[in-house]
Amino acid sequence: MRFARWQMATLVVAMLAPSSALALQLGDPDSLLSIDVHAFASQGFILTTSNNYLANDTTHGSFQFSELGLNFTKDLTDRLRLGLQLFAEDIGPTGSYNATLDWFYVDYRWKDWLGLRVGRVKIPFGLYNEVNDIDSARLPVLLPQSIYPLENTHYLLAQTGGELYGYLRLGAAGALDYHAYAGTIFIDTSTLLSSTSAFDLGSFNVPYLAGGRLMWETPVEGLRVGGSGQALRLDVTLVEGGTSTAIQVPVVLWVASAEYSAHDVLLAAEYSRWYVTDNSSNQALSPDRPQVTSERAYGMAAYRENKWLQTGAYFSMLFPDVTERAGPAGRQNDLAATVRFDINPFWLVKVEGHYMFGTAGLVSSLNDNLPLSSLQERWGVLLLKTTAYF
Amino acid sequence: MALLLVVLQTSGTAWPQSRASAGYLIIVNPHNPESEIDRSFLEGVFLKKITRWPTDEVIRPAELTESAPSRRKFSQDVLVRSVEAVKGYWQQRIFSGRDVPPPEFATNQEVVNYVLKYDGAIGCVSSDANLDGVKLLTIK
Repeated sequence: MRFARWQMATLVVAMLAPSSALALQLGDPDSLLSIDVHAFASQGFILTTSNNYLANDTTHGSFQFSELGLNFTKDLTDRLRLGLQLFAEDIGPTGSYNATLDWFYVDYRWKDWLGLRVGRVKIPFGLYNEVNDIDSARLPVLLPQSIYPLENTHYLLAQTGGELYGYLRLGAAGALDYHAYAGTIFIDTSTLLSSTSAFDLGSFNVPYLAGGRLMWETPVEGLRVGGSGQALRLDVTLVEGGTSTAIQVPVVLWVASAEYSAHDVLLAAEYSRWYVTDNSSNQALSPDRPQVTSERAYGMAAYRENKWLQTGAYFSMLFPDVTERAGPAGRQNDLAATVRFDINPFWLVKVEGHYMFGTAGLVSSLNDNLPLSSLQERWGVLLLKTTAYF
Repeated sequence: MALLLVVLQTSGTAWPQSRASAGYLIIVNPHNPESEIDRSFLEGVFLKKITRWPTDEVIRPAELTESAPSRRKFSQDVLVRSVEAVKGYWQQRIFSGRDVPPPEFATNQEVVNYVLKYDGAIGCVSSDANLDGVKLLTIK
């Protein structure tokens, strides 16, 4: 387990800091040179009763579960803002602490009901996609993996392009919060194919990605409902023995969301379907596959008992193919419970347990390349995680 | 009048709030033409969903630190969630790059000084704050 020096520094500052400031302000706030700085460092531990999950060798316990973030924002005028976040992680076989630009943007907010953001921007999909890699922003260590799989943080966490957004008050009818975006995704292709794959990856592009989210803040205080949709296409070229095969994978995703958050209670539920199709230029090497529809859903409840304690649970369902729900690999049901301890305003510790039924969310390459249907159908996960942040 | 007071008291937080009962006060710059503020508008201001006054002046909210009793009362009454839940909301906003929270100050006087500095500023202070120079808003 490696720790970057500044990860350790963040942890020490957070544990000892007496004040409750939410940011580090560099410079006089009225100066053009002043900047808001925020950071976090997370370290987790995963232990499974059987099946390796998210990382290598979790059946013996794994510390391959680290995340670091450092961001800077600056208001240039009362309508114009710049921001960027550096991010590094080591989760299973991905990341290895390679620092990347998690997001960066120029944001012009003309009115509350209309703003424009360009750059690399987190994708607003569902209630929590934008915080899938931010431990301090949520109760569970793992968001329901049926809708927010950790591996998606490499593909569907942020897009490079533009976004229109706004907030519109409707008087007694509440308010609307909306986003519409379009752009592309640049993906680190180094982890897309396993070392044992028979193919070489010639190219990988996302010619388009577009989508939006519309949330209605209802007149019932704390209750918001809405939906998100997204369409993208993956263009892949695989090479085997000098023969190239071009594959186009159009994908459409949507999710319906509802959240009640008031006082110390949080209730959330989402239902989603994803549609994936394969179109290949070489039917012998890679035949077309008909559209595969997956079904995903969860319900979550949480309660904050006091300043330092919050507890919650969720039940999540994943069916990777609605036409083949039978068998261990046809589903993954996940019953999870979490306890979060806020040691001080900058440091938290979480303990989380999962009871899994099904293997659909597992990865063969982490399990000796065995087919998912042969893995242990009922299994458990214990997660411990600590995060320092400001 | 007595019957109206009983109805207001039994229906949860009563608006408009009197200085004595709320435990906190909402203050604005003396150049601000507003004299009262809707609770849902106030909530939107402190969650930075609403960023401009009707005059198009940018709104600059400021508050006390999270341990202040008046801050905690304000959070439950106006934002309808605990300070910790609001902090979670800001963590989402900060680390998704959407926004940063309002500045926090340790004392009422620092909040007052901030409000006096900016025409569009609005602050939440405890009910025993010295309001010399700032304007008091009623929550309707």
